[in-house]
Amino acid sequence: MSRSVWKGPFVDSYVLKKAEKTRDSGRNEVIKIWSRRSTILPQFVGLTFGVYNGRKHIPVNVTEDMIGQKFGEYSPTRTYYGHAADKKAKRK
Amino acid sequence: MGQDMHDRVCVGAIAGAFGVKGEVRLKSFCAEPSAIADYGPLCTEDGAQSFNLEITRAVKGGFAVQLSGVTGKEEADALRGRRLFADRSALPDLPTDEYYHADLIGLTVLDTGGAELGQVRTVLNHGATDLLEIAVPGMSDTVLLPFTLQAVPTVDIAAGRIVADPPDGLWPDDGDAG
Repeated sequence: MSRSVWKGPFVDSYVLKKAEKTRDSGRNEVIKIWSRRSTILPQFVGLTFGVYNGRKHIPVNVTEDMIGQKFGEYSPTRTYYGHAADKKAKRK
Repeated sequence: MGQDMHDRVCVGAIAGAFGVKGEVRLKSFCAEPSAIADYGPLCTEDGAQSFNLEITRAVKGGFAVQLSGVTGKEEADALRGRRLFADRSALPDLPTDEYYHADLIGLTVLDTGGAELGQVRTVLNHGATDLLEIAVPGMSDTVLLPFTLQAVPTVDIAAGRIVADPPDGLWPDDGDAG
């Protein structure tokens, strides 16, 4: 069952505070968070969060298409190294 | 890893014989698995054998493939476990700001002042931007650097280096950010 709309998206309050503080300072820094359950809000777009995966903080650059997802979805707790083969990386 | 290994890219591995007519079961490591057939003749790790391959059908865990010069089950069985390599030059050219993982792995990472930060160990993608996993000398753990224009302003594959401008708090000695 999905979350009731009247409640609004869930975000841990400390995540909001940290994001606001970083945005106001204008510094280019990783915002370390442990809250994997928090929803990604529109005001987080353009910021870089370090989302804890139980071992380390995984850097997550928030883009518009990530809004509404949870931070934890971008910070896997298990590591899988495949083969490089012909896989490509795009610098955005 | 020698220079020779940079000229070749591992694209698949032979899992064993398939049937009795000399077909092999091939595991593809390519982003689009069937693209393994597009990269021309593939050779073994030592370069002693080279094969043209024809995909006959998809099977569980890979493809059934007919390799040139392999005609019987015994020959196919003897190839079990062999990794197959394609020439790096056989991979198609990419647009600007797009790179093969194989080209990025092993590059030296310098900061904007020219000091060495480490070496690219692998490239990861967890659904957001691509991440460069950097092995830092003197550290047992690795550092993940977002592969963005802001964090990685220069990529010079010919010179074997990238210039990084990591955000504050990314390197362990930066301290906790906020």
